[in-house]
Amino acid sequence: MQPILTNAGTIPAQGPHLTTAALRRLTARPIHRLRGLAAGLALAALSLGSVPGPALAQSLLNVSYDPTRELYREINAAFTAFWTAQGNPAPSLEVSHGGSGSQARAVIDGLSAQVVTLALASDIDRIAAAGRLPADWQSKLPHNSSPYTSTIVFLVREGNPKGIADWGDLVAEGVQVITPNPKTSGGARWNYLAAWAWAEKNGRDPREFVGALYRNVPVLDQGARGSTTTFAQRGIGDVLLAWENEAHLALKEISEDRFDIVVPSVSILAEPPVALVETNIQTDDQRKLAEAYLDFLYSPEGQAIAFRNFYRAWDSSQAAPEDVARFPALELIDIASLGGWAKVQPEHFGDGGIFDQIYVQP
Amino acid sequence: MKAPLIHRSPMPGLGLSMGITLTMLSLVVLIPIGALLLKGASYGPAGIWETVNRPRVWAALFLSFRLSLIAALFNLVFGVLLAWVLVRYRFPGRRLLDGAVDLPFALPTAVAGISLTALYAPTGAFGSLADQIGWKIAYTQWGILIALIFVGLPFVARTVQPVIEEIEREVEEASATLGASRLYTLRHVILPMLMPAALTGFALALARAVGEYGSVIFIAGNIPLVTEIAPLLIIIQLEEFNYDAAAAIGIAMLLISFALLLAINLIQVWSRRRIGHV
Repeated sequence: MQPILTNAGTIPAQGPHLTTAALRRLTARPIHRLRGLAAGLALAALSLGSVPGPALAQSLLNVSYDPTRELYREINAAFTAFWTAQGNPAPSLEVSHGGSGSQARAVIDGLSAQVVTLALASDIDRIAAAGRLPADWQSKLPHNSSPYTSTIVFLVREGNPKGIADWGDLVAEGVQVITPNPKTSGGARWNYLAAWAWAEKNGRDPREFVGALYRNVPVLDQGARGSTTTFAQRGIGDVLLAWENEAHLALKEISEDRFDIVVPSVSILAEPPVALVETNIQTDDQRKLAEAYLDFLYSPEGQAIAFRNFYRAWDSSQAAPEDVARFPALELIDIASLGGWAKVQPEHFGDGGIFDQIYVQP
Repeated sequence: MKAPLIHRSPMPGLGLSMGITLTMLSLVVLIPIGALLLKGASYGPAGIWETVNRPRVWAALFLSFRLSLIAALFNLVFGVLLAWVLVRYRFPGRRLLDGAVDLPFALPTAVAGISLTALYAPTGAFGSLADQIGWKIAYTQWGILIALIFVGLPFVARTVQPVIEEIEREVEEASATLGASRLYTLRHVILPMLMPAALTGFALALARAVGEYGSVIFIAGNIPLVTEIAPLLIIIQLEEFNYDAAAAIGIAMLLISFALLLAINLIQVWSRRRIGHV
């Protein structure tokens, strides 16, 4: 809903701490008028400075992207139970959500996240480039450090009045497509690349196809949630390009009988990766906690939670069968076959890249 | 003898209050703007020009400033009217209305944007009416204009209100006894007195509209070249970790805003001189 705001639960107070002593030095002149003001300022400074910091060892900040709210709410509850069952004190787990890119920027600029779980590997690459974690972070955990995956599907209005079955139908005259702006939304880049991959597979000129598709987009929202709102609540558009998990969530949360999910023949394997931010780990205890947290995502229990939250996870041993059966098979293209993020990001989404050229001819 | 740089007032406390003022101003205003300019300086004027001189950036700047001007003009007229009604007429619910004028200040802009979108989208209360005559409001420039009018509304009303309160009825009555028509009184007696305050409010509303992001983003549609505002372009550059380009567009906006505000100030000086002191 609100892609720009970052809801960090506990951020240690940053910036200059104005101590009361310093304030007193500033205002100790015998001016009666100012006394009240000084007291007020001192109070304000005190209340700023005394944000209760949780005990470092048992706290963890997970900086995540927008549509993972429900997933990590469940993961955190399950992990807390798991962690305390092993004889550890209950950890304080905080999750911050926002657009993947702006979250990455917050971590680069000093938000002390111990764990990042973002939408795109390229966003974590950026954090690595800033020196906060090793460049080979993606090889540290199984499956390209992606404990769960998803793909891009279509959400259409009940009964599919425009008869949309596959990517080719999206460029038809009079079809309105809702997708967020790939420049501001990590999820939207997967949408774009899925369309690109389909066009390549089906002998269409991908550049032309993607251009035609975006000319059918009346609203470019900032993030995936914004687009879901535009489509579901505002009634704009005939088809929403959505993360599979978002599409299922929209069905569950908004209404089962107002929308249908259409699964295209080809889509992209979206791998939202996770990583440990090395420079923000303060103690060995905290490292243990952070590592256990990430490992938990790969555990059968964590994987079952991912399945339940409509993600395509890897290990279905503990997942409910109906959660697994929900996902129809389709051809999934991975990012590596498009050249990897290091190539795709600047070529398509960079300043003046292929996406920009849809709107402005170079 | 050389005149002292600072004229000391007989009142004590200049040093202290000066210190506090400068510290606060630096912390909150001067240092951030200085940092922006510094970032721009390290990028170089050529780089800034190269970033700004692109059809998409021009389109966004033109859109932002054009709609902000229209919104501020609307607020100028409507704000004066509103202030006049609030001061001069007595009607039930006046105090309530008076308080409501400030609401656009208090409401988080995102909330404003979302509620305006909900109202003016084709499924919304007003949007569906407009839709019947084929008029789309949300996700077009109309939507942006409405959001900008909303956030700028209190400025003119609040700057003009105290001036209207000061105007004594005798002035109007004197004008009437000298044989002036009502329109003549309005044009040559009332409006000149309101002018400086109204212009100040206009400038504030304009400045506010140019920088507005939170509410516009929800109602705009954000299509490049059509409904993409300049602040969104800055965000897009930031998303790409392109700090230089973001600073460049920021500086361009700062310069244009500064030129506009300066022009408004000059008009104010000119109108004061023409009318005499008010």
